[in-house]
Amino acid sequence: MSTSTGESPSRLAWRRLRKNRGAVIGMIVLGIMVIMAIAAPLVTPFDPSTQILEYSVKPAGFRGKVIYKRNLADADVPSILAVSSYEEIGDSVFYRDPAGEPYRVARSTLIGTAPHEYYDEPLFLLGTDRFGRDLFTRLVYGMRVSLSVGLISESIALAIGIILGALAGYFRGWADDGIMWLVNVVWSFPTILLVVAFSVILGKGYWQTFVAIGISSWVDIARIVRGQFFSIREQEYVEATRALGYGHLRTIFRHMLPNAAGPIIVLSTAGFATAIIAEASLSFIGLGVQPPTPSWGQMIKDGYGYIALGTNWGMTLFPSLAMAIGVLVLNVFGDGLRDALDPKTSQR
Amino acid sequence: MITYLLRKVLYTILVLVGVVVVTFFIRPPGDPARVLLGQRADSASVAAMREQLGLDKPLPVQIGTYMVNLVKGDLGRSIATNRSVTETIIERLPATALLALTSIAIATVLGILLGVIAAWRPNTWIDTLTMSTSLLGISLPAFVVGLLFVLFFGVVLEWFPNSGYVDRGPEFLVLPMVTLAIRPLSIIARVTRSSMLDVLGQDYVRTARAKGLSSSTVFLKHALRNALNPVVTTVSAWFAGLLAGTYFIEFIFNWPGIGLAAFNAIEKLDYPMIQGTVLFTAVVFVAVNTLADLVYGFIDPKVRLS
Repeated sequence: MSTSTGESPSRLAWRRLRKNRGAVIGMIVLGIMVIMAIAAPLVTPFDPSTQILEYSVKPAGFRGKVIYKRNLADADVPSILAVSSYEEIGDSVFYRDPAGEPYRVARSTLIGTAPHEYYDEPLFLLGTDRFGRDLFTRLVYGMRVSLSVGLISESIALAIGIILGALAGYFRGWADDGIMWLVNVVWSFPTILLVVAFSVILGKGYWQTFVAIGISSWVDIARIVRGQFFSIREQEYVEATRALGYGHLRTIFRHMLPNAAGPIIVLSTAGFATAIIAEASLSFIGLGVQPPTPSWGQMIKDGYGYIALGTNWGMTLFPSLAMAIGVLVLNVFGDGLRDALDPKTSQR
Repeated sequence: MITYLLRKVLYTILVLVGVVVVTFFIRPPGDPARVLLGQRADSASVAAMREQLGLDKPLPVQIGTYMVNLVKGDLGRSIATNRSVTETIIERLPATALLALTSIAIATVLGILLGVIAAWRPNTWIDTLTMSTSLLGISLPAFVVGLLFVLFFGVVLEWFPNSGYVDRGPEFLVLPMVTLAIRPLSIIARVTRSSMLDVLGQDYVRTARAKGLSSSTVFLKHALRNALNPVVTTVSAWFAGLLAGTYFIEFIFNWPGIGLAAFNAIEKLDYPMIQGTVLFTAVVFVAVNTLADLVYGFIDPKVRLS
């Protein structure tokens, strides 16, 4: 061990993690993604479901001309009129739409009174989809879905996996036999098929998707926890808890589980990434999170039809890249974490 | 050996029973009869449909009937086409098998090769390149890789056709096969590398080197052979993931296999078809893994005892 004596294992791991360049970059990118997802309304120019049909399927870097109109149905989200030119005459604003047709709107229905308030030439950084929705905006809002799927589904998987794994590893005997039978049954289905199957059973939707992914991905966690408990159970401090007359639950959760935390943490970063992929796959086949909630898988499917035409490949490429980057940084971070928590790689 | 074999087979049957029960419950929420007939159907015809599907019987009886039919090879009839699910699967099996087998073959050969190359010179540029590429391969789901391949090799470069079955020419196999192989290939490469590095650090390798054997002999004959065990496990475990991957790949490339049938069934909530394809995949997976276990037990006496 290259470390000074007396350093706690978690501080040692943290120090090692900081030295791993890939893991640090991964953490920074992840941090940026989380902040963007939380602050989505602030970093995006539009509402994710605002449609500007005149500006549908525009390429990346497109700059549109728009007038913001008050939305009677929802005061927070303005209606947007695509224009090619406009002119203020008295109380009215006369404008031509991108096709050149002339229109008139009352100035009082617009947002603000002066042109610099209601008129804008926004940049569609990544272009638009077939309903004229801003791809960048939808990408950022889709990140919200992806990250929450990772977080919530993985929490469900962790809860099930840890409880079943701990019970099997701690009590052994018939509890172990029964739980391992269940593990083997679930393990017989490829994860993504199980997710699809549970989505069919639970129906489409936001929460159904989270639950379907969560209850499909606990098997690896249960196996690891069980394996860890098998060896931890033989150690003296566990024997000591028994001698002290502690209850099973206290021994399991207060004393044994913290010592199995390393592999569980590593596995859950991998599970987080898998959950993101599973959600995107579900949305891609039409199950999962339903429109108009934006999700990366849906966006990829929307763009899929345009690929064969050879146009607007950005509609597929950008959400794919976003997902690849998200999963990649999670994997790199997970690798770094594994090395940092593994006492065998102490020289790094 | 006989007891080991018997125990293994019995346990496999026990697991399969569980698999069948899980599969039985794959059906859309609510009353399947009503889902079939639509919301406006009158209650008499819904009741008739329930009787026809056997839904009026208690649940254990339904599961029992389902199992008995399964043993007879009857997976039910598709709601959408009214064709036998078993027939559809058998008819489409060759297409899926061709795709899955060629993919796993490519992934195994190239994956081991790349892993060995990376382990041959660890921490050099070639190792870094191989490992970072494989990390990218793990990070991309198969359907995204497929779409990107279609975009670059099909549309932009026009090297390979975008979609269609191999009966129109061998070039139609290339993109779907490579797409499906990317993920297992990356994983096999990584497992091979770490397993090789593990083995190369062991004493018997040092002994072989000390005896004056050439480094390539040590590397390929002594180390590689022992490093392959975890690789074989990975390959057999990944075979199922590969079968699941065909669901997406067959859809993207319009490949008329089991996956495409399942994909269409999911869109229509044609649950007997979904059940059939999911069950088929799971059974193949269990069979492959049990076989792998038996082979291990045959080769390695230690496995038999545990």
